[in-house]
This record gives sequence, C-alpha cells and structure tokens, in this order.
Amino acid sequence: MKVVAVTACPTGVAHTYMAAEQLEKTAKTLGHAIKVETQGAIGIENELSDGDIQAADAVIFATDIEVERGERFEGKMILRVPVQEAIKNPAGVFAKLKN
Amino acid sequence: MNPKPRQARDFEFRCQLAAGLHARPATRLAEVAAEFQSECTLRNLRNYAIANLKSVLSIIAAEVRHGDSCEITVRGLDEEAALSGLQRFIETELPKCDEPLLPAPPSRGSLPRTLRDAHAHAVLGTAASPGVGRGHIVRVGGLRIPAAAQSEKPKDRKQEQQRIDKALAAARIALEVRLARAANKTEQDVLKAHRGLLSDVSFTDRLANLVEHGRPAGRAIVEACGSFVEMMRSSESLYIRERALDMHDVCARLLAEIYGEPATHTPQLTKPSIVVAENCTPQQLLSFDRQHLRGLILEAGGATSHTLILARSLEIPAITGVRETALLPDSEEAIVDGSRGFAIAEMSQAVERYFRNESEIAERRRARLSQFASSAAVTRDGQRLEIGANVAAVEELGPAFQNGAEGIGVFRTEMLFAGRETPPTEAEQFEAYSAAARAAGGKPTIVRTLDVGGDKPLACLDLPQEQNPFLGERGVRLYPRHEALLCSQVRAILRASAHGRMMLMVPMIATVDEVRWCKALIASVKQELAGERVTFDDKLQFGVMIEVPSAGFLIEELAREVDFFSVGTNDLAQYFFAADRDNPALAALANPLAPAFLRFLQQIADAAHRAGKWIGICGQMAADARNLPIVIGLGIDEVGVPSAAIPDLKHRVAKLNASDCRDLLKRALSCASAAEVGALLDSYSGEKLPLIADDLVVMPATAQNKDEAIREAVGTLWVAGRIEDRVRLEDAVWAREEVYSTGLGHGFAVPHCKSAAVHAPSIAVLRLREPVEWGSLDEKPVEIAILLALPEDAAKEHLQVFARLARKLMNEEFRNQLLSARDAAAIRSCLEQNVLAEA
Repeated sequence: MKVVAVTACPTGVAHTYMAAEQLEKTAKTLGHAIKVETQGAIGIENELSDGDIQAADAVIFATDIEVERGERFEGKMILRVPVQEAIKNPAGVFAKLKN
Repeated sequence: MNPKPRQARDFEFRCQLAAGLHARPATRLAEVAAEFQSECTLRNLRNYAIANLKSVLSIIAAEVRHGDSCEITVRGLDEEAALSGLQRFIETELPKCDEPLLPAPPSRGSLPRTLRDAHAHAVLGTAASPGVGRGHIVRVGGLRIPAAAQSEKPKDRKQEQQRIDKALAAARIALEVRLARAANKTEQDVLKAHRGLLSDVSFTDRLANLVEHGRPAGRAIVEACGSFVEMMRSSESLYIRERALDMHDVCARLLAEIYGEPATHTPQLTKPSIVVAENCTPQQLLSFDRQHLRGLILEAGGATSHTLILARSLEIPAITGVRETALLPDSEEAIVDGSRGFAIAEMSQAVERYFRNESEIAERRRARLSQFASSAAVTRDGQRLEIGANVAAVEELGPAFQNGAEGIGVFRTEMLFAGRETPPTEAEQFEAYSAAARAAGGKPTIVRTLDVGGDKPLACLDLPQEQNPFLGERGVRLYPRHEALLCSQVRAILRASAHGRMMLMVPMIATVDEVRWCKALIASVKQELAGERVTFDDKLQFGVMIEVPSAGFLIEELAREVDFFSVGTNDLAQYFFAADRDNPALAALANPLAPAFLRFLQQIADAAHRAGKWIGICGQMAADARNLPIVIGLGIDEVGVPSAAIPDLKHRVAKLNASDCRDLLKRALSCASAAEVGALLDSYSGEKLPLIADDLVVMPATAQNKDEAIREAVGTLWVAGRIEDRVRLEDAVWAREEVYSTGLGHGFAVPHCKSAAVHAPSIAVLRLREPVEWGSLDEKPVEIAILLALPEDAAKEHLQVFARLARKLMNEEFRNQLLSARDAAAIRSCLEQNVLAEA
C-alpha cells in the first residue's frame, strides 16, 4: 500500500517528529511505502506533492492542529488520529486504515 | 445609565461604570442622597443586596458591577424631589464619575503545583523581590491603640461618644485642609472618598453602637475599622478591596486625633524573621537587623517603590499587594517566595522540602555567579567596561561589592532627605558619605547631589506644586532657590572625599550656565573648607548627568567644564520621546533601543570621547544584559546598575567581541524600529553556547514529582546562566504540558517550550533517581526528562536538532543507551554523538 501522512502538534518541536518517525518505522515493518510530511516549528518539511497525494492509497493525518494547505487532499479519504496515538500505537493506526 | 421610571417612588437603572459602583462614584451618589430627608435605598437586582444610599460603605457592600440592574426606592416627605434629584444625577452625572480603569493590576502570584496539591494554605501577592526566605512572622505597624490606651476602661458612654465626635470633626477639618492643597484630581478624589467615609452613616452608626455597648473610643474605632475592612476585603471587586486601605487610613487618623501621632515603632528582630506590614518606608526597611530579616510581605501594592528597589538590591525576598496578611499568624514560622509571589505560614513537610529545594538551587546559582564577580568585565578583544552599582543607602555597599561592583555608579542621596521634617545636617550627610567612601575602600564612588522635584516630593523641602512636575523644577533647577541646602551637601561630599575616591555628579543639567553655577558653588565651598583647614580631595572629579536632550547637544561645551558624563537613559528617553515613563500605556514608546535614541546616544558618546572625557550610563538600559552589545558598541566606559545584575553582566561582557558589537551597532543604527533592533540583538549572543553541556545534565536528579522535575530542569538552566526568568519559563513549560503530557512512554518525557525567557537554545537532562509520574502515554513513570528550551525566534538549525532528538527517542537502542549511561558526561556525549553530530 502507498501511504502519505501529515504530522503536526501544538508547539511543533517534538511530537510532530516522533509521530513521523513512528509512522515511517511501522510502515516499513508492515511493508507499506510511506511519505510523511511534517508541519512543525521549522515549517513544512518533506512536503507532499500533488502527485504523491494522487498516487496514495491512503492518507493519514496525525495532527492536533489544523493541517496547512489542506486543500491538496480534497476528494481523498483521510484517516485522522491524534498525534499521541501515532506515537503510542502506530500499528493500530495502520490497522484502522484497513477498515 | 438609563433610568427607566417605573412607579412614582422607585426607578431602575443599569450600572454602566466599567469598574462598577466603586468608592468614588458611591461617594458622589451618597452625597446626593444625603441632600434629601427621605430614606433612599438601592437594591442590586443581581444579588439582591440592599444598600442605604446615604452610606458609601453600604453602597460598596452591594457590589454593583458593570451591567448590574439596580432599583432605587425613596420613602419620605421629600420623596418626589429626592426621586427626581437622584434620577437626574444617575442619568447625567454618575457616568462622569467613572475614570479609565486602572492599569491591569500586576499579575498575582501563583503556587507551585506541588504545594497546591499538598493543600498548603498560602497567601498570594505580587512577586516584588526574588528569592525565598524563611523566618518567623513579625507584624509591623497596622492599626494599633497606643499601649497606654490598651487597658483603658470606658469612662461614661457620653464622654466616649464625645471623644469620637471630636476626633471625627478634627479629622474632617484636617482632610479639608489637605483637600485644599491637593496636587491633582486623583489625590483630591482619594481625599474626598476619605471624607465620605468619615461622614458615612454606616460607619458613624457602628461607632455609636460600639460605644453604646461599652467600648472605649479607641477600641470602638479599631473594631469598626476591622469589620468594614473585612467586608471590603471580601468584595469581589479588586477596586473595593483596595479601598480597605482607605478605611484603614481614616481610622488611623481618628486614633491619632485621640491619642496623638503614634511613634513609628520598629521591632527588634532577634531571630530569622519575615516582616509583615501594610507598607514600609525605605528607612524602616534599613532599620531592621538585616542578619535576621529574611523576607518582606506588604499589603500595599506596586512593585516600583524605593522600598522594593532596596529590597531587590539587598536581596531580601518580598511580595506586595497581599490582602490576606491576617492569615499569617504572629510569630509563626513562614516562608515567603518573592519570585513566585506567595507566602505560607504552615511549615508542613511539603513546604519544608520546597524551601530546601529552592534554597539549594539559589545557592548553586550564587556560587556559579560568584566566580564572575571578582573578575573584570573585558570583552574577548580586550575592551573594558567598568561595572558599578547604583545604591541609595550605605547599607547597600557591602552586598554590591560582594557582587563584584567595581565602584558605585550612582550614590543617590535622596533617601537621606526622605521621610523627615527637616533636611539632614551636614554632619549627618558627612557621616553617610564618608561611610560610603570607607566601604568603597578606594573604589570610585559617584555621589549624585539631591535629585528631587514635583514628581519626587520631599516633606523637608518646600517644593512648588506644578502642573507638569517632570518638566518642572527638578534636580539642578532647584539649587539656586535652596543654595544653603546644596552648600551643606557639597561640603559633606567634599569632606568625605578625604576618605576615599569620591566623585560628584549633578542631575538634570540642560545648559552650560547651570554647570558653571554649580562649579562656582563648589569652588567657593572648597575655599571655605581650605580656610577652615578641613582636608578634602582638591581634584574631586565633577560630572553631570545627561538626561535632558539639550545637554546631549552641548557635549563639546560641557566637556570644557566637567570631568565626566553619565547618561541617565530612563529620563533621557522620557524627554526625548515626550513619553511619561510612569505611564504604562507609553512604555513601548520610550524604548531606549529605538534607532532614533541610539543615534542620539552615539552622538553623545562620540562627542564625549572626542573631548577626551569618559562616559557612563546609569539606567535600566545598562542593567539589561540583552543590551550589552549596544553599550559595548557605543564604547561606553562605565555603567551603573542594580548590584544583583553585576555578576551576570560581567560574565556576558567576557563573551562579547567589541568589534562585533560595533558592527552590530552600525546595523542597529540603520534599523527603522526598536523591534528590529531587538531582533538584531536576539540573533547575536556573542559566543555560541552549545545546546548541551555537562552542567545541563543532572544525575541523579532528586525531583519526586513532575512539578519538582520541571522546576529542577528549569533551575538547571538558570544556574547555568541560560535564562533569567525561571518562573516565566516554568509557566511556558506547564502551558505546553497542559495541552497534553509530554511523557512519551518508555520512561521518557520531553517537556519543551518556546519562550522569550530563553537566551540561548538549550537542552537540560534530568536522570531521575526515583521514577516520576508524568501522565505518560504508556502510564509508566519517567526516568529521564529532557527539557527542550527554545527562544521565541529559534533558528532553524536548532529546531532541526530538536526534531532529530525527537525522532531518535523513538528508537529503543538510543533510549537504552541513555538509560544505561553511567554519569552526566556519558549522557551528554550520547546526545552529542546521536543528535548534534549530524548537524
């Protein structure tokens, strides 16, 4: 499965990146291809292009704040989870995708 | 106010005064009601409180707030007239009784969570002088019947009532006299409110009632005062709570009328003590034995009084604006926290532990800073800045030199003159100045001649009442009219100059003529002393304050007359920007970092140096370490600052490079706003501090809960000199914790925040001895807490390090490496290798 994700937390200093790390690591073990965009204090990094998004089978928003440039994902089904859930139980997040 | 007639004898209105029916409008309302015979009643339809409209106290007790609907009822012979009179007043006059709301009261203190959870009974106040102190409560002043009258038995009731009536009448007359002399409307309004209290029927009835029940006059006054003060203090409105002080004043006046003026009483402190007082004069503060004075709790508000400036300089923890001092029992042991703004008079285990932790961290900070105290302030490329302390009393010199003062930047002499009916004699002054000279032990001491005026009135000096005191007869402008006074001061300074290295400095110079006048006076005093064969330093350096803009354009001419200059940046900025420095609404305007002001400063400093004179800065600008690059860039030779700021300033100067500072100044001068200059300063911190260092790792950390851990981590940054305002950083960290816990599981937490309190981005690590509950994702306690502290405008490279660290923490191997590290150095190096190395 091709997955794209966005992570963003209130201060954008720590949890954004922890969640990104967890999603990337877990995707790897589950055999999914993933690209995670982080929206933190640094700004947007590893930005998802329209092509990335169009090609994705699934979209995950692990965010506690509004996603910037959310219009890119119009028409896509999005799984929204709190940042903490992606950190604590990333496998669970992917399991939800299947449903 | 929109009165809406209902029936003939009552009507309803809505209070539209922003501060509600507080003392002043209530006073006016009661005055109007008193013109009529009818009984006039107000009912607050929000809380159904009923008030006698003729009693200010009663109106205040009805707690009429902005927006409350009230009903006014009139019963009696002249009810028609009363009704229309009151209605007219409420419609047309009452709205004018309002005044802009006072500036927001300074933030109240707050209790650390540990103590809150331990249900410690604290009283809160405004943090006014940092630090934590422990001692026994000693109450000073307050309303007190003279000892002689304590055991007084009531004479006959009629006689007691007469004593009260006489006191009331005399107090009213005294008030009228003061009213006639009142300087401004605010003072008038306060006095009118006092007059209203004196005539208030609730108050006078209460007094009569107490006398009727057998109280002697003095006791009746104290008891009546107590009950009304209590009522006001329990009011929901801050404004009314503060009016309790008025009641207090009025009753003190009455007692003085009956028993004579009380002698000011300063108790002897015989063991570690915390002094509790309504207010405290600077002299009173100094009269306490400082060996035992551990803290100060004041009922009066404000954080800028001379007393508090002194307290900060003497490092006595203090809180102000404390309304519930009654909750602090006499002679009980208590702690006061002047950093966070609370006091507790219950030494529970939690409080003991808190005090121990705070004392320990303060001690660590002191020990660290004392390393720098004894060194000179020299930049890396060898530019020297002399750092002196500003003081107002001889007693401050000891602590100042301990903090590493290289001299006294300004010895303010006003305190010698304050709070007394006659000016100090030459002998008294000589004693103070020569004591200062001896205490300075050869270090330069700049004594500033009397700097008073309409804005800083003195009882012992007849000063004119002025419309615009800041632009009036201040400083040197008063000297010609008080020549004898100045002569005695100059004589005392010159005589003291034989005992040390003194310099004399004159405030508020605007013209060369003023300087020449002062020099002529000094010359004649010297001649006089020489004639009397009194020894003095004939070469005593003479300087002037540059605080009036005109003087800034006369440096070349002034330099021919003087030995040195000292820029008073507070006043110079206020006059330069035409912005009252005491008006908080204008605080942003009189910003010394504004490019216009910096250009002026540069012109002044350059002109002084061209003329071969040295130049100093005394003022807030020099005390703020953030401004140091500007001060160094300007080539300033000396600064006068509060002594507590000295070690840190020295430490920071040593990290700067003067040539970088000159470049930075150049860029600042071409900025368009103070904000741009501020940003420029923030981006320049001299020597780059590493994100992580051995002194930022605590192992083992002794915190027993999350609150203690956050305090310990933030305290570690404070001890290391990375932040000044601990409390602000703690608050920022907690604000983030409250969104959701930063406990990420596996025994790790990453508390973090961005805050202007942080100078340099830093990582502090606690390796906790006992795992601490953090509300983590996996509900497991935390063994390692990593505090990420970022300045408001953190650079991308630092954010990237933090992001990398966050990702690394998801890696079990990395976590285990940290958990099994043997010591602080191992933790530091593990972080460096894994997180910084890739930077």
